[in-house]
Amino acid sequence: MAHDTTAKSDFSPHEEHAPAKTFVLWRPHAPTGLMDWLTTVDHKKIGFLYGFFALIFFLVGGVEALLIRTQLMFPNNTVLTAQQYNTMFTMHGTTMIFLAVMPLSAAFFNYIMPLQIGARDVAFPRLNAFSLWTFVAGAIILNIGWFLPVDRWGAPDGGWFGYAPLTSKTFIPKHSIDFWVMGLQLLGVASIAASLNFIVTIINLRAPGMTMMRLPVFVWMTLVTAFLIVLSFPAITIALVELMMDRNFGTNFFEVSGGGMPILWQHLFWVFGHPEVYILILPAMGIISEILPCFSRKPLYGYPIVVFSGACIGFLGFAVWSHHMFTTGMGAVATAAFSMATMCIAVPTGVKIFNWIGTLWGGHLKMSTPMMFALGFIWMFMLGGFSGVMHSAAPADAQQQDSYFVIAHFHYVLIGGSIFALLAGIHYWFPLIFGRKVSEFWGKLSFWVIFVGFNVTFFPMHFLGLNGMPRRTFTYDPNMGWNTANFIATMGSYVLGLGIFIYFATMVYTYFKGEKVGRDPWDGRTLEWSLPTPPPEYNFAVIPTVHARDAFWYEKHHQEEIAKEKAEHAKEDEAHGGIHMPFASIYPFVASFGLLILAIGATVFDSNWSPGIHIKLATVLVGGAVAVAGIYLWALEGNEGYHLHIEGDDHKSDAKKH
Amino acid sequence: MLLTSLLKKLFRLDVCAFLALGGGSLLRASDANWFVMDGHQSTIFTEGPVAASQTNLFFVTCWVTFVIFIIVGAVLAYATVKFKARSEADEHAEPPPQGHGNPLVELGLIAASVLALVIIAVPTLKAIWFTYDVPGADTKAKLEEMIAKKEVYEVNATGYQWWFKFEYPTEQATVPESGGKAPLATANELIIPAGQPVRINLRTIDVIHSFWIPKLAGKVDMIPNRANFLWLKADHPGYYWGQCAEYCGDSHAVMRFRVIALGPKDFNDWLDSQLQPARNVASKTAPKAQLAAWRKPESFRRNESGVTSKFDISPLDAWIAKQSPEGGEDPELIAKGKALFQSKTCVGCHAIRGHGAQGVTAPELTHVGARSTIAAGLLENNHEQLQRWIHNPGVVKPGNKMAKGYIDNKITLTEADEEALVAYLESLK
Repeated sequence: MAHDTTAKSDFSPHEEHAPAKTFVLWRPHAPTGLMDWLTTVDHKKIGFLYGFFALIFFLVGGVEALLIRTQLMFPNNTVLTAQQYNTMFTMHGTTMIFLAVMPLSAAFFNYIMPLQIGARDVAFPRLNAFSLWTFVAGAIILNIGWFLPVDRWGAPDGGWFGYAPLTSKTFIPKHSIDFWVMGLQLLGVASIAASLNFIVTIINLRAPGMTMMRLPVFVWMTLVTAFLIVLSFPAITIALVELMMDRNFGTNFFEVSGGGMPILWQHLFWVFGHPEVYILILPAMGIISEILPCFSRKPLYGYPIVVFSGACIGFLGFAVWSHHMFTTGMGAVATAAFSMATMCIAVPTGVKIFNWIGTLWGGHLKMSTPMMFALGFIWMFMLGGFSGVMHSAAPADAQQQDSYFVIAHFHYVLIGGSIFALLAGIHYWFPLIFGRKVSEFWGKLSFWVIFVGFNVTFFPMHFLGLNGMPRRTFTYDPNMGWNTANFIATMGSYVLGLGIFIYFATMVYTYFKGEKVGRDPWDGRTLEWSLPTPPPEYNFAVIPTVHARDAFWYEKHHQEEIAKEKAEHAKEDEAHGGIHMPFASIYPFVASFGLLILAIGATVFDSNWSPGIHIKLATVLVGGAVAVAGIYLWALEGNEGYHLHIEGDDHKSDAKKH
Repeated sequence: MLLTSLLKKLFRLDVCAFLALGGGSLLRASDANWFVMDGHQSTIFTEGPVAASQTNLFFVTCWVTFVIFIIVGAVLAYATVKFKARSEADEHAEPPPQGHGNPLVELGLIAASVLALVIIAVPTLKAIWFTYDVPGADTKAKLEEMIAKKEVYEVNATGYQWWFKFEYPTEQATVPESGGKAPLATANELIIPAGQPVRINLRTIDVIHSFWIPKLAGKVDMIPNRANFLWLKADHPGYYWGQCAEYCGDSHAVMRFRVIALGPKDFNDWLDSQLQPARNVASKTAPKAQLAAWRKPESFRRNESGVTSKFDISPLDAWIAKQSPEGGEDPELIAKGKALFQSKTCVGCHAIRGHGAQGVTAPELTHVGARSTIAAGLLENNHEQLQRWIHNPGVVKPGNKMAKGYIDNKITLTEADEEALVAYLESLK
């Protein structure tokens, strides 16, 4: 492999082109080690880091959940104080949504999506690194309160929904809410930047012949999710800015004494919050739509309908936000409209389930662990969907809203749905990413323990809710008829925790000691399986040409034709100067680090005492300066890269390095 | 119109009630002591038309989704078993036909889903309008007329962190301090006439709360700067549990209340006694037997339940018993308590009509002795619990203003002071 570091980024040396003026302070070259991880622009390494951080926070959120369940094991329990309990449920929700499920989906978007469309990286590799590190900065800000005194700081305790005016300075004067506001703001920056990147990648970097209607469904769901993020996050960004202004600069958006309208917060929050639900579930649906065909050895049933129903869910997702507000007194007409719109969304969701069953029908089902999780997903998501339909009937929802029935519903959707699919995905793509195969025995054992634990935890909650137990309550009296169900739920949560432990212990073991596998262990259908395991940094030695929907399946059944085509394309590539790779860069990390300093300044320091305000201002300015400097240097170094040359024209042989 | 007549037929069939009957019997039959659904806040065993309509609708959704679940689940289970690869050889056999789907099947399934949703949508729309406002009160004028005619009873409920204030705009109580009249106000126990629609105007003084009495009506939020309301009717006299259902800060979990529905005569008697100023105790009455065993406030564990199971057996009777003076009243002790109520700054926040207390930020206590619970439905109203509450309200209800108001301000009460205050409050029937 020769590093031809003088090559410019343009692919056609024959064209007349004035070289761009660049200013390069330092080009990192570390092939391994910490500096490599901090400066990498490789979508696969960034995807791995997303997954790594997401799983850590998944465990943190899980511990918070177990503490919540322990407190509720008995009536009038005293494991946590009211204040600690409120912090736990706030941070459990925020962590699981923003720091576990979303980045875990982002890990798959990053790692898998470019491979599935036959691309060598995402469209903006350095922006991708910036998204990752900004996400980490946001996660730090959200959790920083755990390490500061509770009386004036503490972790956020206003609920993951942060309803004004409870979150205003009048009612929660400590900085805990500032952490929440600034943390979510940074996570929004990270998510929007990443989504724009994915959209441009999917639109522009598809391999020749990869038409939109040949995209794997996972890529389609990535695209829909990315659009949802780009369109919905601005709503919460505005809400958070308004709340921040209210808390710090004396505005009156939600401040009742100044004529503010707290209901405004709810509309802004749920205009974001409902699409957010689909941001969490659509990637899961995409993963399931990859796994089921692979293990049924059949194409996805009704591909166009699955794709259109995904897009349809995305559109309708913006029209149903007020079903989170059925009890806010919107009036009969608005309630009826949102009720009907919500029922409509059940149709495209149901269609997906029908098509997944259609995919199984007539197949040769191989019951590997990813398939077990995928089938578990269909069952659990179906139950969560049904309780969702129950909520759409607004008058029934008046009883269910903010009761344990709702908790049961969305955990069936988010654990039985999203988490099952993500665990299936980790299992499915593990051999591709690490070149090792997870033990089927331990995989299936973890599936059954998780499946049983999950249902024992959350099924009783339906009954708790119907029996009138409200959510977000740190204690309950023994005479309400809630004791048995709560005790069972807590026992279930311990089993669920054990299952998750077995799952991750198995993964860690496999990473170090698992059985090594070669290319295409599952008899895959999509392009990522055409690659060696783990894939080389340039992904494809020759960019594939796509002839059919399940591109790799087609390649496997038309080997001669494809081999000829690859050989020709390899020659063309070499004539263009080899494989173009982007330079690594430290500046995305620097820019994110600047944002972290800025956010620490804006949240940790008090402006009420004399040195505090100066330290605050100084930190904010320094952080802002670092961020601006990072972005500026990043722009000045230009989008240059180097070229790799690979010997041999057979795309299936590993690239030889020279 | 054909559609309208079809809809009307559907209404006449009353699918709703029919399905609800089935659903109700199913849940009632599954009463295997595992998930007993008849708790104090059950949404299944309802006692008023609003909650009943909401529950009936819930059963419609239950049945429709249950039928779909059985069908789809059966197909899914069949496909999983039927098409499973039985052996290694099976797994590596020639791949099955690579079919891409069938548009007619897809369209048929879409149509079937839409149809299933219509079954839910029709009763949903019906219930939205039924539960929204008192039947017949289509306009504001009509509603006011109904209130004036006493066909509908009107109450104002206001949420505070963490208790509820109830106001009766149609009942004027005398206020001896000012010599004038003001609408009757109480706290945490809402007394309503049974069998009569009650319209409750929902307000909040601070953050968002939600007003929920599961057996009578689903919740409606109390939101600042919004004039929300709900209506309900209790089918018969009874004692109902309610609770705040929107997270409202530290002590959200212990922001509870009660609704007591009374027959017409009892309700009027209650009103008459409430409209009076606070009671004065002139002479000593015969002592009560069990006064000797009085638990020290320090002996209560944090979060320890403040209600006994004895209370649950007949809560309405327990409430009725609280309406008349108890034995063992000591005028001297009560007078001492009354003085302490002034000197220990309780009057700054609480109101006791006729005793010179006119605070507005805390629960009104003119007839607190006649309530069955204190501290927003959290503790039974008796000697022990009253003293436990007064001793350190911050332990019972974290973050509440009473703890801030006097304990944080270093106002101290001796044990004798606490006993005097308890005796005074208990005398306020």
